[in-house]
Amino acid sequence: MQAGLWIVQRASAAVLAVCVVVHLVTIIYAVQGGLTTAEILERTRGNVAWFAFYSVFVLAVTLHVPIGLRSVCSEWLRWRGRSRDFALLLFAAFLGWAGMRAVVGVFA
Amino acid sequence: MLEVKVWRGKADGGFQRFEVPRHPSQTVLDVVTHIQRHLDPTLAYRFACRVGMCGSCAMMVNGVPRWTCRTHIDSVSKNNELTVGPLRNLPVIRDLVTDMREFFDKWARAKGEFRGRQTKEDDFAKVPPQSPPRQQVDAGIECIGCGVCYAACDVVKWNPDYLGPAALNRAWTLINDVRGKDNLERLRAVSGDAGCHACHSHVSCTERCPKHLSPTAAIAGLKRAVTKAVLEGDL
Repeated sequence: MQAGLWIVQRASAAVLAVCVVVHLVTIIYAVQGGLTTAEILERTRGNVAWFAFYSVFVLAVTLHVPIGLRSVCSEWLRWRGRSRDFALLLFAAFLGWAGMRAVVGVFA
Repeated sequence: MLEVKVWRGKADGGFQRFEVPRHPSQTVLDVVTHIQRHLDPTLAYRFACRVGMCGSCAMMVNGVPRWTCRTHIDSVSKNNELTVGPLRNLPVIRDLVTDMREFFDKWARAKGEFRGRQTKEDDFAKVPPQSPPRQQVDAGIECIGCGVCYAACDVVKWNPDYLGPAALNRAWTLINDVRGKDNLERLRAVSGDAGCHACHSHVSCTERCPKHLSPTAAIAGLKRAVTKAVLEGDL
């Protein structure tokens, strides 16, 4: 299972590398001269491409972060076993829920 | 004179101060030997060959794992001060002597013994020296099991089950040995939370290896091999 988790974490890291760069470049490009919330939402709402892009971003975060925290928990907090994995599953669910809530709010 | 602080006792021990005369080309092992022979005969430490072949004299020198026989005082002592302790990440038996059993048990757990496919009836195996697998073996085969990489590894400190750089390096040389067998079993043994996937690639092992080997590269090779086996459905 750990080998599978490792592969998922590496693959999600590769996705995140692209997503973070696109995200930052887009922000810097779009915000030049200032933007209001209303202007942002006017541009983003109903945009299927950006909705899909940020959904992938959230999915990658949801997979990547808990797997990384798994090592942090075991190495720094000495927290291993099923309780750790269950807590991280809950955290992954929270990340996915919070992330998709934001994506739906901005792009749907 | 050299001001030397030497670890005494077990894990809950402490440093004891000694003054040792300085000599040209003096090594840390010379200093420890001087203390034992002239200042305190109860000091426990290990050494054998004194020329960097056996790996038994590895200790923490100013907080860094080194072969004491190959470490000159000139290269490590600032202001004529020196601190010598037992290797990190291993139980201390007494003074500068550590219990290496767990270190070598992990070689066994990583399936570190060679198992050949051929019998005595077969001809000699021909392994071209320039073939990629043989080159991978060459890169790691000179390990003498001194434990320096194991003491340098932060992951061993955080995760006591972690097999460690030397055992994983050994497994990688065997995986690349074209005469061997049971590689899937070996990959299974070296993957997971206690195996190659726990490595954070801090590269401390490679930085400290007195033989200038790169266990980090070996571990990366294991990660690639495990990934390939998983994607092909073998693991």
